[in-house]
Amino acid sequence: MTISAPSAELTIGRQGHYAGAVSRLVAFGADVGASWGLYTLGVALFNAAYKLVTGSSYNLTNHQVLAVIILSVWEFVYYSYQWAVGGRTIGMAVFGLQVVTTEGGPIGVRQAVVRTLGLALSVAFFLFAFWGIIFQRERRAWDDLIAGTAVVYSWDARAARLRWMARTEGAMHGAVLHQQEQEHRLEPGQDVTSQP
Amino acid sequence: MEQLAQALAERIVPLVIEAIDIDALIDRVDIDKVVSRVDVDKVIDRVDVEKIIERVDVEKIIERVDINAIIDKVNIDALVEQTELGSIIARSTTGIVTEILDVIRAQGVGLDDFIFRWGNRLLGRRRKIASWPEGPPLLVEPKVGPVS
Repeated sequence: MTISAPSAELTIGRQGHYAGAVSRLVAFGADVGASWGLYTLGVALFNAAYKLVTGSSYNLTNHQVLAVIILSVWEFVYYSYQWAVGGRTIGMAVFGLQVVTTEGGPIGVRQAVVRTLGLALSVAFFLFAFWGIIFQRERRAWDDLIAGTAVVYSWDARAARLRWMARTEGAMHGAVLHQQEQEHRLEPGQDVTSQP
Repeated sequence: MEQLAQALAERIVPLVIEAIDIDALIDRVDIDKVVSRVDVDKVIDRVDVEKIIERVDVEKIIERVDINAIIDKVNIDALVEQTELGSIIARSTTGIVTEILDVIRAQGVGLDDFIFRWGNRLLGRRRKIASWPEGPPLLVEPKVGPVS
């Protein structure tokens, strides 16, 4: 079974355009999963190291206030650091999204930090905060409006299309060779051009 | 005496030049014969190429070249079809995972459009959203012309 290449209009043609609700929410879901997974892994590693050093076990779930503080700090670092460095989180990179300024340039550290705080506010008011992605002129949620940012589609769509074309071309070439082998009873691997 | 000669020359020379049929003169010259007598190697030997190259401001030339216009003129699809470039790209990249990601991203874009279009249609903003920008000004050229 072969999957046909997505249309250029939905890939190459959309680079730099404002990203919509589905892509952004799915990317956010992926980030929640990734950050939670990394947090869990970190806690497990800490527990193992603590047990190795002291001989007794330490369970963070018994200290809920501390756990919430650590988780909050971790989430803050997870989002603000990644946005400050490359304008995208792991989830955004997977789904081909990038945070940019309202003009379209790269965001700075201050904007990354403000956007992270704005995201916390947006999550707290989920139903209201994210409507902007659908109904606002520049598809900006609260966190975007607070930080002066926007989210755009940004992935190497042209390279992906070239790969599709190359694969399709390769598959077609293989099918033609196979047909020629059948027609001319060639040995597998022998090109029809080498036959007298 | 010298002034007289100068005055005469000033009057006669233009008259002579006017009288000469330059085209007819050139027609009578055997250009091939002239060219064959020129020792090109000797001429080239006398040219200091290094000095000429030193005097060329390559950066200024590059600045004047519109690279984007050249790239726009290149038909990438045809290039990939007609050369081994596609196979090289396919071999040099991670392959199927990135292609699946490309499909997922494109599906996401399609769903985004659907939600955006219908969400705003329900609010009766179908015409209004047509005039909205597609992306930030540095990344997407603003829409031109009146929107109905």
